[in-house]
Amino acid sequence: MNNKKSKIKLRIEKIVVSIVLVLGGLLVSIPFIWMITSSFKPESEILQVPPTLFPQNPTLENYINLFSNMNFGLYLRNTVIIVLLSFLGLLFNAMAGYAFAKYDFKGKNKLFILILATMMIPAQVTMIPVYLILNELGLTNTMTGIILPGLAAAFGIFLFRQFMATIPDDLIEAARLDGANEFYIFFKLIVPVCKPIFAVQGILTFIGSWNSFLWPLIIANDERLYTLSVGLSLLKGQYANNFALQMAGAAFMVVPIIIIFAFFQKYIVEGFTMSGMK
Amino acid sequence: MGTVKNLMKNRHPYIFIAPAIIILTVFSIIPIVVALFISFTDLNLKGLADWSNISFIGLENYASLLSDEVFHRSIFNTFFYVIFGVPLVIFFSLSIALLLNYGSSLLFKIFRGVYYMPSITNIIAVAVVWGYLYNTEYGLINYLLSLVHVDKIPWLGEPTIAKISLIILAVWKGIGINMIIFLAALQGIPKMYYEAAEIDGANRFQRLFYITIPLLRFAIFFVTVTTLIGWLQFFEEPFIMTKGGPLDGTISMSLFIYKNGFQFSEFGYAAAGSFVLFIFIIIVTLLQFKLRKSDTDY
Amino acid sequence: MKKKVWSLALVCALSVSTLLAGCSSSGDEGSSSDTTTITVWAMGGEGKQLGQLTEKFEAENPEIEVEVQAIPWDTARDKILTAVASQNGPDVLQLGTTWVSEFADADALLDITPYLDDYPDFKAENYFSGSVETMKFNDKVVGIPWYIDTRVMYYRTDVLEEVGYSNAPATWDELKDATTKLTARGEDFYGLDIDQNDQINPFIFAWQNGYEFDADAEYMNFDSEAFVGAMEYYTSFFKEGIAPTTEGLEIVQAFKNGVKPIFFSGPWMINIINDQAPEIEGQWTTAVMPSQETNTSSIGGSVLSIFHNSENVEESLKFISYINEVDTQLEWLDIANTLPSRVAAWENSVLQEDPHLLAFGEQLANTKSSPQLAEFEAIAQELLSTLERVILGGEDLETQLEKFREKANEIVE
Repeated sequence: MNNKKSKIKLRIEKIVVSIVLVLGGLLVSIPFIWMITSSFKPESEILQVPPTLFPQNPTLENYINLFSNMNFGLYLRNTVIIVLLSFLGLLFNAMAGYAFAKYDFKGKNKLFILILATMMIPAQVTMIPVYLILNELGLTNTMTGIILPGLAAAFGIFLFRQFMATIPDDLIEAARLDGANEFYIFFKLIVPVCKPIFAVQGILTFIGSWNSFLWPLIIANDERLYTLSVGLSLLKGQYANNFALQMAGAAFMVVPIIIIFAFFQKYIVEGFTMSGMK
Repeated sequence: MGTVKNLMKNRHPYIFIAPAIIILTVFSIIPIVVALFISFTDLNLKGLADWSNISFIGLENYASLLSDEVFHRSIFNTFFYVIFGVPLVIFFSLSIALLLNYGSSLLFKIFRGVYYMPSITNIIAVAVVWGYLYNTEYGLINYLLSLVHVDKIPWLGEPTIAKISLIILAVWKGIGINMIIFLAALQGIPKMYYEAAEIDGANRFQRLFYITIPLLRFAIFFVTVTTLIGWLQFFEEPFIMTKGGPLDGTISMSLFIYKNGFQFSEFGYAAAGSFVLFIFIIIVTLLQFKLRKSDTDY
Repeated sequence: MKKKVWSLALVCALSVSTLLAGCSSSGDEGSSSDTTTITVWAMGGEGKQLGQLTEKFEAENPEIEVEVQAIPWDTARDKILTAVASQNGPDVLQLGTTWVSEFADADALLDITPYLDDYPDFKAENYFSGSVETMKFNDKVVGIPWYIDTRVMYYRTDVLEEVGYSNAPATWDELKDATTKLTARGEDFYGLDIDQNDQINPFIFAWQNGYEFDADAEYMNFDSEAFVGAMEYYTSFFKEGIAPTTEGLEIVQAFKNGVKPIFFSGPWMINIINDQAPEIEGQWTTAVMPSQETNTSSIGGSVLSIFHNSENVEESLKFISYINEVDTQLEWLDIANTLPSRVAAWENSVLQEDPHLLAFGEQLANTKSSPQLAEFEAIAQELLSTLERVILGGEDLETQLEKFREKANEIVE
């Protein structure tokens, strides 16, 4: 009897939560939907007041325009290379985060604050010095020069550190007693346990590198190293803005992000497997 | 001899941090030191082209900042953004994460993506749609308000209201990333804690405040620190929506730095501005680390 | 043992990645020795389209190869700044006219005065007098006008007809009168839209009122009656409520539904109106600026410059010269829809017959470029803030202009 009552209560609760989520979700996603549907509108319709959510005269012209105006294959190849190599950064950040979470070593706190400090200066201020350093290293006009500066990021290191700090020390100690070496522990024990946070950082890394724009532009001495984002921004005039074309570009760029998100998000909520181990 | 041996024994943490530290040193820390040096010079475009044109002017840039009214206003605005925006972002992203964690049906899976959408919406689409919402004469919000006989509100046309409008926009945009971090963190809470609490007769709110939130402390700490750092560098929203206007009512410190550095090529002055900002950020961050130390004790 | 395997794996991963990165980027460096390659940085869409012209140039000059790198407008400044800092620039560089003085002041652009005699296409008399100003910095010639633009008046013929104007307002008095009448059509209607973020607008009004910029004069003549009077005229539109102070409806849409029937803009607006508001075709046109002392407008556009340390100066000059031949310019008009800088090109029928372009041709005879001063950007922005304080903040114009003059002097020092 009591059980049944609480079950009904639970059901109602779930329905209320669902309704709240759906309403809120609609509210937050309108600009996104507008972006997608606008990519199918002719230019004359896009800034209409009041705006139309769905195109009155749907057209594919923007997409045709987009692909015929871009050196598409090349830009896509460059973007994919940057994305793949950026995932190496995921490893670097995770390793550093692990060290800061689970080891005691000399200068640990000072080093960590130093790392955080790199987040505190606007990137525009350091852009020219960074370029000059890359120039000295002979890395201008190379893929390495585009990727290298972004391989380590304080945000990622901090994120990994915070999450890895919650892993019980006993787990690591037990593995050490079993004779596992430190790298084995990291790759075989820590990485699997931290799947959710790898998934989060993976999504962020993907989005960041997929949209990478400023460095490919500044480092490149010709268009061989341009990415999709650079290609898209070339379509923008000094004064004139073809909004419909830009929406098509934006909509196209966002599709892979959604796929990656859908793929990774199940790991975010799959859960630590360690609750049983505890 | 002993220290070498010691180092060999403890070399693992250093190996783990080495790649990240090397990259950050070369591409972040050295450039920051260079920028610090620049802030004591009169570097402009002329100096950039020929370094012999650069002269060391000591604290002059910092002194001019002290008397620059626009800079004062940008500091005020930045703190306005931070004080109202940061708590709102954290509150909303945590609430949404908790709601999304409620179920695992397809609906909830889809909505994880939906709430993430604002952070991946193209910035031009954001500007166009929100520009329409906020338009004083033709905007949707004012139209809806007119139905209940509320006068037109100049959403982007009056300094204080414009700041609030930008905060709303930035909160909307900032929820997604923090939400997925909270979602990931929620997975780390062992189910048995809840089961135990239920047996003890704890209700939903007790469970929230005595189990969930305390166990999310590490994630909340992370989100608070990074959100504060991010909001102190508030830039994109005023840049695309108002360019700092009206009457410098929405200019932030980062936008001030950008304008001086990139529009006017006063790199020395911009660098000085960014170190003032840096000092604010590092004080706020260290304060949080201090506070946190004391709270892990209990 | 296991330890070693792991560290080895790590080292491998690292080296493979750098190798991969290195490989994928090292392309075909340097071409055969008997041809010279010049690199050209051109902006946005123009950069993408320029390739159509370079092919012909290469065919005519087999010893020169042209490599065009398109650079987005938004971030062009970042790119050029890093080039200036590292001395790692192109041979030929497209620059917006407002940037010329700044980069010339930094000695980033080559002085081509010594070569002028060899290239008849570069003679000053080939270009409009307003654009000749943009070629020079101090006594050097640092750029050749490639394409130009000027601001004219766009207006709705049908709407103006309603208030008794069968032609565009031709003087300041007429403009004021027409604007007032247009505003009186009803609530939410305006007469004229002035873009308060466009830094050249106040200067256009000042020039029309007889103001002359003089870098050596005290306060750069900002204390002259002509300048102060123009600022009074400029702000009066906002104070009287006949020009909108908030952005309101986006300009093309407002033009379409008649809310803002007059505005000032450049040639790019023709296509935008045709694309975004095809319905009103035939109900709008362009006209030259209204006049007070004169009907001066601003001239802008892009110049082609040579980067200061280019090793291929002769080849670069040859290329610029080719681009600036009258025939090539007309071809470019066809490709990119920008207005040719050569006066002779304007005799072409396309430019003479297009009703919207006619006003541009006429206006070009009376234009000035923004003052060639490295700090101009900062001064112009300061002026905009000053006017904003008067228009939105309700401050007194006289005292604000006083402050502006002090500030402007400080900026120039």
